[in-house]
Amino acid sequence: MTGSAPDLAVDAAGVTDEQASPESELKPQERRIADLEQEGEIAADYIEGLLDIIDMDGDLDLDVESGRAIVAVVGDGLDRLIGTGGEALEALQELTRLAVLQRTGTRSRLMLDVGGHRARRRIELGKIATAAAERALEQGKPETLTPMTPFERKVVHDVIAEIDGVHSESEGEEPSRRVVILLG
Amino acid sequence: MLEAALEHLVRGIVDHPDDVRVDLNNGRRGRTLEVRVHPDDLGKVIGRRGRTARALRTVMGGVGGRGLRIDVVDVDR
Repeated sequence: MTGSAPDLAVDAAGVTDEQASPESELKPQERRIADLEQEGEIAADYIEGLLDIIDMDGDLDLDVESGRAIVAVVGDGLDRLIGTGGEALEALQELTRLAVLQRTGTRSRLMLDVGGHRARRRIELGKIATAAAERALEQGKPETLTPMTPFERKVVHDVIAEIDGVHSESEGEEPSRRVVILLG
Repeated sequence: MLEAALEHLVRGIVDHPDDVRVDLNNGRRGRTLEVRVHPDDLGKVIGRRGRTARALRTVMGGVGGRGLRIDVVDVDR
């Protein structure tokens, strides 16, 4: 990933080559949803296998939302799979996407959550983004936030997009890539 | 348990899952998981600029705690 393209591009790396699917009598949109559901199931198998081996309890919730599969591991005592600042969660999501790619031949944009981490982080980031936008507007100069994961930057960009008088860009290279809130 | 966990994670992302082997070494410098895969799968396990190997280390660091090393062994070497 180079330059200052929006972070959305991080996830858009591969667009699907449609595979011949046994549900070929389905309409394209229905087939797309069936594919995403299948992604979720492959992902769930991969993660359940891991949970069994490491003797962790967690229920798997599967969903399809905004054109991507959502896989959530629900339960307590999952902190080791979240890691500091969610780093283990991001890494497990990356491996899970690769496991889906391996089985389907199609790059996956699936979103993994563990122990409600992303939901909590979304709320925190909403507050951080709003406060930073207010500072930028009051002081009349850009505000640079701390380095964040692609997911976190996306949440911040979405929040800033809703605030008048500011917009946001990402700067720098992973893992120090960060959001800058600009006036205008 | 750690070997089995890493073996599971690697087997899911390679073309030759039956060729995946993971050994745990308890050395003086700590615990090391040695991963061996089919030569054709080496690139998949390492990933672009080491990205996949890093993800494996991060997940296993969470599961197995700090000080757990992971070596991807290049059998051709």
